[in-house]
Amino acid sequence: MELRTTQATGANLDSHNRKLVKKGLSGLGKLVLIGYAIFTLYPLYWLFISAFKTNEDFFNRPYALPLVWMRENIFRAWELGKMGKAMFNSTFVTISSVILTLILGILAGYVLSRFQFRFKRVAVSLFMAGLLIPIHSTLVPLFLMMKEMNLLNTYGALILPYTAFELPIAIFLAMGYMASIPREIEEAAMIDGSGWWGVFGRVIFPLCTPIVATISILAFLRFWNDFSFALVFINSQALKTLPLSLALFSDGFGTDYSLTMGAMAIAVIPTIVVYLILQDQIMKGMVAGSIKG
Amino acid sequence: MPTAVRSKSFIALALLPALLLFVVFVIIPIFWSAYYGVFEWKGIGASRFIGLDNYREILQDHIFWRALKNNLILVVSAIIGQIPIALLLALVLLKNSFFSRFIRSAVFMPMVLSTVVVGLIWGYIYHPQFGLLNTMLEAIGLDSWTHAWLSEPNINILAITIPINWSNIGPYMLIFIAALQNISPEIHDAANIDGARGGRKLFNVTLPMIWSTVVVTMVLCISGSLKAFDHVMVMTHGGPAQSTELLATYMYNNTFRVYRYGYGSAVSTIIMIISALLIGINYLLTRRKAE
Repeated sequence: MELRTTQATGANLDSHNRKLVKKGLSGLGKLVLIGYAIFTLYPLYWLFISAFKTNEDFFNRPYALPLVWMRENIFRAWELGKMGKAMFNSTFVTISSVILTLILGILAGYVLSRFQFRFKRVAVSLFMAGLLIPIHSTLVPLFLMMKEMNLLNTYGALILPYTAFELPIAIFLAMGYMASIPREIEEAAMIDGSGWWGVFGRVIFPLCTPIVATISILAFLRFWNDFSFALVFINSQALKTLPLSLALFSDGFGTDYSLTMGAMAIAVIPTIVVYLILQDQIMKGMVAGSIKG
Repeated sequence: MPTAVRSKSFIALALLPALLLFVVFVIIPIFWSAYYGVFEWKGIGASRFIGLDNYREILQDHIFWRALKNNLILVVSAIIGQIPIALLLALVLLKNSFFSRFIRSAVFMPMVLSTVVVGLIWGYIYHPQFGLLNTMLEAIGLDSWTHAWLSEPNINILAITIPINWSNIGPYMLIFIAALQNISPEIHDAANIDGARGGRKLFNVTLPMIWSTVVVTMVLCISGSLKAFDHVMVMTHGGPAQSTELLATYMYNNTFRVYRYGYGSAVSTIIMIISALLIGINYLLTRRKAE
């Protein structure tokens, strides 16, 4: 009898201890996680506080909040860096490429998932190979090709290759999504007398909203942040996108650190706002886009 | 139902624009760079056919080998840095609590920044005089640990791996969370009944269940690391003395700085071949392991 009680309390104690240890561990784990989150967020925080400092303040008190909040930095960066123009260029190029990617990608995805025809397998494997092609191995020949076509220093020099390189992932996502749309829906629309274009435009495309959102967000982030294509294909000051003008900005105003920080702060705000608003969709999109990629 | 002719024209009209754009801007350039690679050409004037001389020269150029080595350092640092950290974070942040959603958002945040911004911020963090890293080391009395992070050869390429890993862990974490959520609860129950816990459960149950995802992330790490260009371009331009040169910056500098288009094209072709090789090797290795 006595023995049994001891055993019971022993077991209780043991499980009690284990719970305590577990709690302690999860507390420690939480601390580690918070530490990691600080590691990812601190550089951004630092960027924003530095953007409002004088240069001396930036050198002398790198961690502190600004002595005086220099809002002029932001305005000067905007003016000197011609960032209005760059912002317009980035927006225009990004939106055009996203729209083109969506239209071409979803149409192609629809055809490749629904129809049987002779070169289908070739087409599918060609696009899928595109997922792994390193873009830098095509920069030189693309540059030369575009020179021949007189495309360099036009918006097309960015819009066309952006779209072309984003098509594989867009088609891949679209094909995956189409598989979940029942075929009966199309048959019903056919009986009502629509042609394939009508079926696609009035029935399929509207049903694709979730995947349209995913494709657009992935494409938006990629196009908005691209540096290498813009660096190689754009020379004219008037067509520079944000990342390009930022990189050059830091060369041109290399010693004016707070000014460069101000320019960066301006440039990152749009993506951060988009990110905070569309977080959930972005996360879903990332998962859908990369899990099978 | 529409006639066969009508669906044929639909197929053609709907597929061809995408196919055409893709073939012209992605597929043809690959072959074209292989073709240009056998010429000596300054970008203007006549080009001269020189056979495989460019390729021979590349293989004898120690800068090329240095660039390749640097790229491989990035691949290794991505595979041993990004994947385990991302997997660990995913395992811990799997639950959908407010806390874990917050941490997930924070971890993913750097991903939405342009690589140029990431490069510039970290360039300042590494600055030898006023950079955050050195001032922090001095503040805690570790003056001897300070470095000119981006200019000392051998240290600088390692320094560059940090911002790259910093900004890429987020997406891998999400991929792992998705994969972990797909494991059915019955498998966890079965493992628990068999007494599997902690590390044993991770290595004997969880990891094998998501192995295909791990392989995918490895392929993404390899192809991502071979694509690395922006961070280095912004932080060091490949210098000093080409100590941080990568394959892509080597290609860029040869083509657009010293105007050797033929040579640059040959480098492009070699980048293509190396990617294919690494991805193939990874496929063979990881497939054997899975079996």
